Amino acid sequence: MFQGLSTDQAPPISVPFRFFMMAPIFGMLISWMMLSFSPSEIFNRYSPITIGLVHLFTLGILAQMIMGALQQMLPVLAGAVIKKPILFASIVHTSLNLGTLALSAGFILSSKTYLSIGATLLGISFALFLFTIIRLLFKVKYLTSTVNTMKIFSLAAIITILLGLYLVGQHIGGNINEYHYLIVNSHIAFGMFGFAIILIMGVSFQVIPMFYVAKDFPKFVQNKYARVLLGMLVLYAIFSILALDTYLIKLIFSAIIISFAYYALYSLNNRRRNVFDVTLWYWKFSLYSLIVAMIIYALDDKSNDIVLIIIFSFGFLFALLQGMVYKIIPFLAWFHLSSKGHFNIPTLRDFIVQDNIKIQFFIYLSSVSVFILSAVINQDFIYIGAILFFVSNLFLLINFIIASIKFYKIYKIDPMSMYK
Amino acid sequence: MSVIAQYMTQDHRACDESFANMENAVNDENWDEAEKLFNSFASDLLYHFDMEEEVMFPAFEARSASAHCNPTPVMIMEHAQMREALKQMKEDLDAKNKDHFFGLSESLMMTMQQHNMKEEQMMYPMVDQAMESENAMLLEQMKAFERRS
Repeated sequence: MFQGLSTDQAPPISVPFRFFMMAPIFGMLISWMMLSFSPSEIFNRYSPITIGLVHLFTLGILAQMIMGALQQMLPVLAGAVIKKPILFASIVHTSLNLGTLALSAGFILSSKTYLSIGATLLGISFALFLFTIIRLLFKVKYLTSTVNTMKIFSLAAIITILLGLYLVGQHIGGNINEYHYLIVNSHIAFGMFGFAIILIMGVSFQVIPMFYVAKDFPKFVQNKYARVLLGMLVLYAIFSILALDTYLIKLIFSAIIISFAYYALYSLNNRRRNVFDVTLWYWKFSLYSLIVAMIIYALDDKSNDIVLIIIFSFGFLFALLQGMVYKIIPFLAWFHLSSKGHFNIPTLRDFIVQDNIKIQFFIYLSSVSVFILSAVINQDFIYIGAILFFVSNLFLLINFIIASIKFYKIYKIDPMSMYK
Repeated sequence: MSVIAQYMTQDHRACDESFANMENAVNDENWDEAEKLFNSFASDLLYHFDMEEEVMFPAFEARSASAHCNPTPVMIMEHAQMREALKQMKEDLDAKNKDHFFGLSESLMMTMQQHNMKEEQMMYPMVDQAMESENAMLLEQMKAFERRS
């Protein structure tokens, strides 16, 4: 059955919005945590506090924004519709958010009860979400590189989640053996390169040409990269468990991902639409950060771990997601109103004013810069970084809320009443 | 052979190109040139809609579409949205209101892109499939449709 982005077929706007809105709230929570604990605990990547913080980011921000965007994009990309979208979104959203809070609290407070609650809720959220999107993706008749990449993403996501659940199980059972850290490495690799990178690749193949009237990625990038990455991930996991040297695999990861970033930047820099667009700053900052992160990764020096995490998570991932959502929210607001029959609608640039995005970008950029300084020069800089990060997330939330208020003000008016 | 998908996809790219040229002229505040390019873009876009609405969709519906599996009403509704945006852009162009124009052109561009995606990935392959060997003939009929503007 054919479905598309029209108001009776796309999910109601509240479905993606509820996910997007929570991301900056988790951002603020992360800042508050950073201000509450000593930098020495945060800068130790194996401390329970760091594990808690990392999951507030990967689940509360990354998975959150991805889930929100996918529920919106699937109808367009795959002609696939989720039945009972509000019920589905409510269950996935509630269990994701409560599960993330419980899991992170479980790590930070060393509470097995919280860990168990967190793992259960996250298990429910991801099982329901992934099962549903896989079912829809495999029904798609006319395959595109994005649909194929999404299928590989869902496989990588399942592996990441299962490894994660296994690791929580070990924490709960107090059974941290020598294999634990080998599985931790695979969990991280699948999360970074499978869950995050493969998804971002798939989305970029469609979204960069669509948002910026830019060139398509070369065919071999669209058709091969995700598969090769998944193959490499499996190889990496096997090598890790057998305690073999993984350096060569790491180099291959870096080479593939850097070349992906290169093609994405090439496409953006040669776009046909030359009009200034502030969201491009996020994309470019993000993709350059990705290149830097992958160079650091290839150097394979453990002392750079924290810088790598900062540049990969905040420089690359979160920046890209913000750039994407800044495009999606005004467009959805405009599109839903226009489909409902309203003619006098704010334009895309009125829903979120470009100057407000610029200010938020600079605050965000400075927070990431100061975080890097804190890892390289003096750990105490983290306090300044955390305050800036808090402000940038508050600003992000305000920008989202202003757009929603503008939307709902018009949405509740019956367009026909204007002709009476 | 998917002749309809190929031809119409190419026509989407041509519309993108003509859209980008028009925007660039507005960006440079080269108003005379902008008006010329706007008219040429509008003509291309409206002609594309006509080829679909007047020739392709009726032929497809006669051949294949069942009530619960017919994408054409959604496509037609989105054409209407784009026509309305185009009309408002023309007003902005006449008033030389650059900011409002770009707000609208961005809305139009995003609508166009997601609409193209659905047509290229679903609508056109469905039409090619439904028309079987007669798809080349349908394409000729579409091309023969007279431009109204």
